[in-house]
Amino acid sequence: MEILERFLKALEGIFTGSGLMTLNWQNYVMIGVACVLFYLAIKKQYEPLLLLPIAFGMLLVNLYPSIMAAPETTLMSAKDCIAAKGTTDGYAVTMIGNVKYYNVPHYGGLFYYLYQGVKLGIYPPLIFLGVGAMTDFGPLIANPKSFILGAAAQIGIFITFIGAIFLGFTDAQAGAIGIIGGADGPTAIYVTTKLAPELLGSIAIAAYSYMALVPIIQPPIMKALTTKKERAVRMEQLRPVSKLEKIIFPIIIVIVISILLPDAAPLVGMLMFGNLIKESGVADRLSKTAQNELMNIITIFLGTTVGATATGTNFLSFDTIKIIVLGLLAFMMGSACGVLFGKIMYKVTGGKVNPLIGSAGVSAVPMAARVSQRVGQEENPGNFLLMHAMGPNVAGVIGSAVAAGVLLNVLK
Amino acid sequence: MDMMNKFTISASMLLTGFSIVFAVLIFLIFIIWLYGKIITTAQNKAIEKKNAKIKAEVNESKQKPKAVVKKAETPVKEESGLSDEIVAVISAAVYSMYGSTDKVKIKSIKKSGARSAWSNAGVLNNTRPF
Repeated sequence: MEILERFLKALEGIFTGSGLMTLNWQNYVMIGVACVLFYLAIKKQYEPLLLLPIAFGMLLVNLYPSIMAAPETTLMSAKDCIAAKGTTDGYAVTMIGNVKYYNVPHYGGLFYYLYQGVKLGIYPPLIFLGVGAMTDFGPLIANPKSFILGAAAQIGIFITFIGAIFLGFTDAQAGAIGIIGGADGPTAIYVTTKLAPELLGSIAIAAYSYMALVPIIQPPIMKALTTKKERAVRMEQLRPVSKLEKIIFPIIIVIVISILLPDAAPLVGMLMFGNLIKESGVADRLSKTAQNELMNIITIFLGTTVGATATGTNFLSFDTIKIIVLGLLAFMMGSACGVLFGKIMYKVTGGKVNPLIGSAGVSAVPMAARVSQRVGQEENPGNFLLMHAMGPNVAGVIGSAVAAGVLLNVLK
Repeated sequence: MDMMNKFTISASMLLTGFSIVFAVLIFLIFIIWLYGKIITTAQNKAIEKKNAKIKAEVNESKQKPKAVVKKAETPVKEESGLSDEIVAVISAAVYSMYGSTDKVKIKSIKKSGARSAWSNAGVLNNTRPF
């Protein structure tokens, strides 16, 4: 009889602790959203390296919310402590009045600890280290005027800031939403963790989704703002860049930006450090590790924990819809401003610059540059804009880090 | 936050962000242009010096006709396994890119230590999401 009683009690305990009893409808909706993201990542191959970990983090946290639970300590009397843990040995003692209480720790969930890398702003600069080790700044050094296009594409960030303010967000939240327009995932996450951590899930997902949709979002804007003649412009071959120039570049950039905008130093510093270890040619092992193993490990940690911030109660709100709309606006404005400045450069240079390379100023390396190449080739199949577009593209990475520095400096 | 306050914050942020981002990046254009100029000038001088030295050597060897013929016929340093046809193809590719041979002179052809095509494809694939 006692055996049966214990068995039924155990069954009841398992049932009441199961997801069937603890999860609410928002969790189930988010499980559905995670499944849609799996479909997009696996079937459509939209940013699978990031979308897959993000979707899995989202799935896990909505199935088992305690995976993000913070650690805590419970004060227990000796009797309760023995009842719960079997002993009082090894627990710190707190005296309240004349009564002894034992500090019984409850450890946090797995993702809570991994999330500290996001919360403390560790992962995004490490991702930038890997990006720097993979990036060739040669096209930018060969044509430094590309920086203008990289700067122009950041205007979307500040225009979206205005939209967010008027939609009722605080200035810090508006800054975090605006940075989606930089089309740079690590920068968006870095700025959001500093300015509006409560919006991290929505902003990260919006930022990476729009980056994945670059080939769909940008071409109509590019075509609408340029003429057939402008799109067909063939640009002159870039001058060759010496190894010495490539080695000096990251050192100069980090010195200049860190002095002028110290808040951008963690991002730009790691980006340039990664680039220096690549270009120096004397630390091949470090360069390879930054490009591959380190990058992959951080991507897994960053993706899963950012996804884990998208719990049902956090994500399913009207604010998320507003963020998604504003993010799209930021992205479109950034692309449009890049193309418009490309048109100005076209006029100023007497038709030597193809305005299509302007849209690549929104970072999203190297996809935005590929889009410029593709749209250019549609007009003129013999036109190769890729290397020319890589200049504004990598300038956009630096530009969005500078814009992030401005936002952090003004709004933090 | 009232309407006036919202307007003030928005306008000041637009102005600050726009001007600082442009100012910093334009300053970087100037710095890169400057050091690019300095390095290119220094390297051109070194190349000119080298060319002058080679010219002097050629002039010296004019007194030895056999050596002159050999140097004039093979200005490109031949690496082992690099046939004349390959040299011709690479020269043609260089010509087609520059559109003229006035400013271009191929001095040597050697395999670069850069990544292989497969490695490049891997890097490109890894950089896609960022």
